[in-house]
Amino acid sequence: MIDFFRNGLAMMELEVRRIAHDRTELYTRAVQPILWLVIYGPIMAEVRAIDTGSIPYVAYITPGVLLQSTTFISVFYGLNMVWERESGILKKLLVTPASRSSIAVGRSMSAGIRAVFQALVIIPVALLVGVRFFPSVPNFVLAFILIFLSSAGFAALSVCLASLMKTRERFMGIGQAITMPLFFASSALYPIALMPKAIQYFAVINPMSYSVDAVRALMVSGALASLPEDIMAILLFDALTFCAASVMLRRIIE
Amino acid sequence: MNCAVKTERLTKQYAGGTKALDSLDLEVDRGEVFALLGPNGAGKTTLMRILTTQIAPTDGKAYVLGMDVEREGGRIRRRISYVPQETSVWGDITGYENLLIYSKLYGVPREIRAKRIADACSIMDLEEALNRRAKEYSGGMIRRLEMACALITEPEILFLDEPTLGLDPSMRKNMWTALERLREERDVTIFFNTHYMDEADLYSDEIGIINTGRIVVRGQPEELKDRVERERIIIRTREPEDARTRLNSLFDDVSVEGNSVVIRTENGERGLAELLGKITDADSIALEKPTLDDVFMKYAGVRMRENGENRRRKHD
Repeated sequence: MIDFFRNGLAMMELEVRRIAHDRTELYTRAVQPILWLVIYGPIMAEVRAIDTGSIPYVAYITPGVLLQSTTFISVFYGLNMVWERESGILKKLLVTPASRSSIAVGRSMSAGIRAVFQALVIIPVALLVGVRFFPSVPNFVLAFILIFLSSAGFAALSVCLASLMKTRERFMGIGQAITMPLFFASSALYPIALMPKAIQYFAVINPMSYSVDAVRALMVSGALASLPEDIMAILLFDALTFCAASVMLRRIIE
Repeated sequence: MNCAVKTERLTKQYAGGTKALDSLDLEVDRGEVFALLGPNGAGKTTLMRILTTQIAPTDGKAYVLGMDVEREGGRIRRRISYVPQETSVWGDITGYENLLIYSKLYGVPREIRAKRIADACSIMDLEEALNRRAKEYSGGMIRRLEMACALITEPEILFLDEPTLGLDPSMRKNMWTALERLREERDVTIFFNTHYMDEADLYSDEIGIINTGRIVVRGQPEELKDRVERERIIIRTREPEDARTRLNSLFDDVSVEGNSVVIRTENGERGLAELLGKITDADSIALEKPTLDDVFMKYAGVRMRENGENRRRKHD
């Protein structure tokens, strides 16, 4: 347990230090979510095609756009693992006293940290386009913890994918093919009730639905009725993906 | 048990069917610099990955510091360090930050972290470059940074996989100077893989020659070379028969090969001194000493270079 904690912290520190040296990636990766907020959001709001209740449309999609961009980062984090496999870093990590599972979880948590920084870059843009956040510091803190946890879960999922792909090119294709469906089949851009029935079923098992829902409740609406359920779903998702990543890491090595 | 490394009939067969190690037996004593010499594809890296507990053997046993690699991996990893042949530092942070992160991953206590990092840097001669990002380092400096990262834990065994691969001769020399400094300061066993014969020859106490997954011969470099053939003095002259008659009284093994007279002797340098004055019409005189390649040839049946290339072609 101490082992887990120590490795997680060291990996997160590594990520913070990398970001401190080079923030270019955070900015270039912010372009896409900014387009959603600055162009797609206001246009769809103008059309008034989607009923989002009392929440303005751009505010409604802000949590979804945040999570889409952080999930992208996480899913492509597996790519980093593939690269580290080609370089000697993964081999060297395996020869530290850390257990296999703490390496998998530690790497996932460093993706979570990067995701938090990414969200921090996008929020000022949301403020500029007129999104009014729910004014509560504890809510924001909890929302960021959930963004961190859900991103770490997706990163662990991508570690599993990386173990199956093993080459960068294959991974690029699969990564793309997974993140977009997760995004569209969640409540990121529209309420789940508006989706066709079949996709609604998928949305129920889509972890992104729960993280979007939780972050929206905490940061935008302030209506926390379904929050416990969302948190449980995110924790369950993390538990499953962390375990899977720990097991699958073995495949990356061999 | 005083063995740093011990293997018994160690076998590794990969999923594709390639048998990388084939009943390999090996013992390495503590405090030695041990070179595992062999061509590409001989099984060097596989052996090192098993000894450093990254992958499990298919069959047989391996012990590091008396501990079983399969059952006591965690305990072994606390007492060894390893530098893989590929780059193993993060290029986008500084050298110091790499050392700091690795020291935390290894669980080096906070109170001694700074001292450990400083010591490792002084051995590896890195103090100047610590605040630059590692991607700005030269190949040789990256290698020394990797070594420094490996030294932070004060390991009992340092495993180095092809430590000088891709380095130019002066960088290679610097690195070995640093490793020699390490040995002067600490009691550490160094186990390294290489396909450079000169490196194994110059820097190791003991050599194991590996080919197709087996240790074909092992011993001290000089002892191995002595076993192959005596040193040869080759004299090119227009009158080889004449020269032979004159030299027969000095050496017990003199023969004519084409335009040359070949003398086989235990000590070539002394032989040359004895020759002076006896030979006046030589075009050239050369002294040839047996190399590790001759040792490899004798025990593996092929030349090391050829063998490596054949195997690579087979894999393509």
